[in-house]
Amino acid sequence: METLLLFALAGPFALSAVLAALGVGDRRVVGWIIAAGRVISVGAAIALWTIAIGGSPFAPAAAGLFRVDALSALVACCVVVVGTISMALGPGTPGSGHDDPAARRKFQAYGNVFVLAMLLAVTVNNVALMWVAIEATTITSALLVPLHRSKASVEASWKYLLIGSVGIALAFAGTVLAYFDFVTITGQRQTSLGWPLLMHSAPVLDPGLLRLAFVFLLVGYGTKAGLAPMHTWLPDAHSEAPAPLSAMMSGVLLAVAQYAILRWKAVVDLTPGGAAFTNQVLLAIGLFSVLIGALSLVRQQSYKRLLAYSSVEHSGLICMGLAFGPAGVFASLLHMMNHALAKSTSFLLSGRILARYGSTDVDGVRGLVRTMPATGALFATGVLALMGLPPFGLFVSEFLLFRAGFTSGHVWETGVALVLAGIGFVGLSSHLLRMLYGATPDGVMSGERDARALAPIVVCAVALVVLGLILPEAVGALLGRIVEGMTA
Amino acid sequence: MDGLFSQVAVLGSSGVLLCAIVALWRHGIGAYISAFKWQSNVLAALTAAVAYFGHDYDLYWVAALMIAVKGVAIPRLLTRLAHRVGQNRESEPLVNTATSLVISGLLILLAYTAARPLQTLSAAPTRAGIPLAIGLLFVSLFVIVSRKKAITQVIGFLMLENAIALLAVLATYGVPLVVELGVFLDALMGFLVMQIVLYDIHDTFNTLDVDVLNRLKH
Repeated sequence: METLLLFALAGPFALSAVLAALGVGDRRVVGWIIAAGRVISVGAAIALWTIAIGGSPFAPAAAGLFRVDALSALVACCVVVVGTISMALGPGTPGSGHDDPAARRKFQAYGNVFVLAMLLAVTVNNVALMWVAIEATTITSALLVPLHRSKASVEASWKYLLIGSVGIALAFAGTVLAYFDFVTITGQRQTSLGWPLLMHSAPVLDPGLLRLAFVFLLVGYGTKAGLAPMHTWLPDAHSEAPAPLSAMMSGVLLAVAQYAILRWKAVVDLTPGGAAFTNQVLLAIGLFSVLIGALSLVRQQSYKRLLAYSSVEHSGLICMGLAFGPAGVFASLLHMMNHALAKSTSFLLSGRILARYGSTDVDGVRGLVRTMPATGALFATGVLALMGLPPFGLFVSEFLLFRAGFTSGHVWETGVALVLAGIGFVGLSSHLLRMLYGATPDGVMSGERDARALAPIVVCAVALVVLGLILPEAVGALLGRIVEGMTA
Repeated sequence: MDGLFSQVAVLGSSGVLLCAIVALWRHGIGAYISAFKWQSNVLAALTAAVAYFGHDYDLYWVAALMIAVKGVAIPRLLTRLAHRVGQNRESEPLVNTATSLVISGLLILLAYTAARPLQTLSAAPTRAGIPLAIGLLFVSLFVIVSRKKAITQVIGFLMLENAIALLAVLATYGVPLVVELGVFLDALMGFLVMQIVLYDIHDTFNTLDVDVLNRLKH
C-alpha cells in the first residue's frame, strides 16, 4: 500500500519524462494521460501528508531503502505541487512565449527527471544516496538553463555546473567523514546508513569529527541552498533559466538542500555540545546570506535577478530560523513552504512578463497593471508576499521566525536580520512600483492572453492568503510532528 | 602483513597526490589529461590493493569500474574535446608554476594538521594516507580556482572526485557498493553534461578561456 503511494507520487513524473523522450508528448491523448498523472501525483502527496500527521514514519518495502516521515512529506509535497505547476506551464504551453517543439521536448524530458531526483532526495533513507539524488538535480537542471541558447545563459549554466558540482562534492566529503566516524566507533559496516540508525548512534560518535563533517556538509548543501558566500552561481542561473525551471530551482530545490542541512543538523545536535555548534554556524552563514541578499536587492536592475537575490535572502532567513530552537525550526519550515509558493508564482509570472515585454530590465517594463492586468496583479501579489507583508503567509512565518529569535536569546542577530529584511523590503517595493505603473513602452501589446495558464497561479496566491490569515490545522500538526522528530 | 598494507597505502596515496602536482607543473592540456588518467589508474590499483589486504572483495568491482570510466573513457572524451576545440595549452594560469607548486606544498602541510583528529581516531592500517587524501582535496580545489581554461577546471573537478574516492577507500575501505555505483554514475553524467556545456561555450564564444564569461554582473 505504502509502496504504491510512492509509485503514485513519482510514477507520473517518470512517465511524462519517458513519453517526452520518446517524442510522443505532443499528441492529444498523451496530453490527457499526463494531465491525469499530475492529478494522481498531487493526490498522493496529500495522502502522504495525512499519513505523516498520523505519526509513525513509514518505511515501505524495498529493503528499507525509502523512509517517509513528516519532514519528508512536507518537502515532497512542496516539490510535487510546484513541480506539477511548473511542468504544466513549461515552454510551448499557452502564455510561455516559446513554441519550439525541440525545446519543449527537452524541457519535459529533463525537467521531469529533475523533479524525480528531488523526490528521491527527500524520501530515500540513505545519507549517501540522498547525496547522489541531489547531485543529479544539478546535472539535470544545468542542462536546461541554456534552453534558449544565448551567451548569458551558457555562461550561467557553466558557473552553476562548476560551482554546484564542487560544492556538492564537498558535501560528499562530509558524508564520507560522518560514515568514517560511524564505522570506526561502532565497528559496524552498514550497506545503507539511514537516518534513524545515524540518529540512534549519534550520541556515542566522535563529536569533533562529526562537527568537521557538518562544516563540509553545510558548505556543500549550502551551495545548493544559495547561502552566501557560495551563492554566486544562483543569481545567474535563476535569472537566465527558463521561467518554469527558475520556479522549481528557487521554489523547491532550495528547500531540498535545506532539508539535507536540517537532517544532518538533527544528527549532530545529538552529540555532546553539538547543538550549540551547529546553531552558531547556521546563524553566521544565515545572517551573512540575509545581508548579501538584502543589499543586492537594492541595486539590481533585472527583475529576474531581483527574485534570485530574494531567494538568497529567504534561504538565509530559513537557515537562521533553524538555529532558534524548536519554535525557530517550526517557523523556518513554515517559511520554506510559503516561500515555495510565493517564489515559484513570481518566477512563473516573470516568464510571461518577459515574453510580452522582451526585456528583463525593471526599466524596460512599465505600466504592467494596464498592459497585463491579471498577470500584473498576481505578480504584485507574489512580490508583496515575498516582502513579508500581511495578509500573506510569509508575514506570519517571518513574524514567528523573528519572535523565536528574540525569545531564544539571539537578540542582536535577530535585530540585524530584521533591519536587513527592512532594507530588502524597500529595495523590492521601489522596483515593483516602477514596473507596475507608468506608460507602456511602444510596441508592447495590451490585454491578457492565454489567461487559462494563470489558473494554477491563482490557486497558489489564494493558498498564500489562507496561510497568512490562519494556520490550518493540517499544517500546524505536520510541522509539530517534524519538530518532535528532530529531537527524538 | 599490516606493515606491508600500510606501506602500500602510503605509497599509493602519494602516487595519487603526485599526479595532481605533476599537472600543475606541466602546461599542455594533454599533460593535464594524462596526469588525470594516471591518477585514476593509480587510485584503482590502490583500491584493488585495499580489497586484497582488507578482504573487502566488493572493492575489486570499484577498481575495475574506476579504470574503465576514469582511466579510459573520460580521458578519451577529454582528448577528443581538446582536439575538437583546438586548444592545447593552459596558456597563462592565474598563478604561475613556481607559485602554484609552493602553494600546493603549503596546502599539503595544512592537510596534515587538519587530518590529525581523523588519524588519531582510526586504527586502520591505511590511516597514514588520510592526510594525503585531504591534501589532494585542497590541491584540486586550488587547480579549479587558479586555472583559466574551462577544460582544466573540469580536470580539477575530476581530481577533486578522486580525492574523495581516495579518502573513502583509506578511511573506511570504501563506501558501500550501491553508493559507490551511484556516485560513479553521477560522476560520469556530471562529466558528460560538463562536456556538453564546454561545447556550448566553445560554439558561442569561440574559446574555452573563462575570462570571456563576464557578461553577467552581480
